[in-house]
Amino acid sequence: MHKIADVEIQHDIMVANRKLARKNQRIMDQNGVFAVDVLGAIGSGKTSLIETLIDHLDHKVGVIAGDVISKYDAGRFESHHVPVVGLNTGKECHLDAHLVKHALEDLPLENIDLLFIENVGNLICPVDFDLGSHLRMVVISVSEGDDTVEKHPLIFQDADLVVINKLDIADAVGASVEKMVNDVQKINPDVEVITSSLKTGKGLDEILAAIESYMK
Amino acid sequence: MHELSMAQAIVDTVLDAAQKNEAQDILEVTIEIGQLTMLNPEQLKFLLDVLIEGTLLENSEILIEEIPVEIECRSCGFKGEANTDGSDHYLTIVICPECGERKVEVTKGRECNVKNIRIEKVDEDA
Repeated sequence: MHKIADVEIQHDIMVANRKLARKNQRIMDQNGVFAVDVLGAIGSGKTSLIETLIDHLDHKVGVIAGDVISKYDAGRFESHHVPVVGLNTGKECHLDAHLVKHALEDLPLENIDLLFIENVGNLICPVDFDLGSHLRMVVISVSEGDDTVEKHPLIFQDADLVVINKLDIADAVGASVEKMVNDVQKINPDVEVITSSLKTGKGLDEILAAIESYMK
Repeated sequence: MHELSMAQAIVDTVLDAAQKNEAQDILEVTIEIGQLTMLNPEQLKFLLDVLIEGTLLENSEILIEEIPVEIECRSCGFKGEANTDGSDHYLTIVICPECGERKVEVTKGRECNVKNIRIEKVDEDA
């Protein structure tokens, strides 16, 4: 004879990721590592910004370079003589806490005090996946259009620091930087917004100072 | 688009629970999806239908329940459902429906929860 049974599962996949993220953070805390999750659109300048920060910050930096395919970004970071782990997600549009956990196992954490985790270029999917970082920095640029913030509000709601990059070409692409800044502040009144141009160096000192202040 | 990996995680969770409970068939699965997750229930359902082929889940009914967004306002203390009306769906969520301030904490709506399953198993008492 057969019977019908109801089985309670209550397994939240998001919660499972968050638990793993907290574990990642504990591992990093134990090793004195401060982690910055660098999120943002494709081509907004995430890799270039991290490269610039590596050269300007007086810290032992490490990088987890997330990409769907290719080790191109990882190679760029390696040329700055810092420990790098390239993470290819294969088909996924975001990093998750599980992937980062494995990357942490491959990094010499005892020789790192500041870890940049470059997420996959995407303003939507990474929102759902906490990695265990201490700071969430969102990097967008004027070339994505000045309506990009209002179209992707959730990533800005979770951000601690927002960089609006490529100011030098704002006029050429017809983007209102003021609108972008206002839109971020509408969504997240507490977040620090820095406008920058990695070409001219504008905003770099503010980004460096912001990261230093979070690390204290 | 991360519906595929989430769908796979859901299928794995359900099959694991079914095995532990010695299920011979899975009749029904209930999944809760928060409205604030970046998951589209329709896409998720489509991918689940693909992934369950040839598994115990193949003929089961998959029910997806959407969980509304709830917030807590740090300005006035309001706790409850967020305003999800209008085309600016997400933008209105971050505004407190009570006092209009934007300092809100999202307390519900980010779930991807495998809630329960209904299974058929051998009745050892029969």
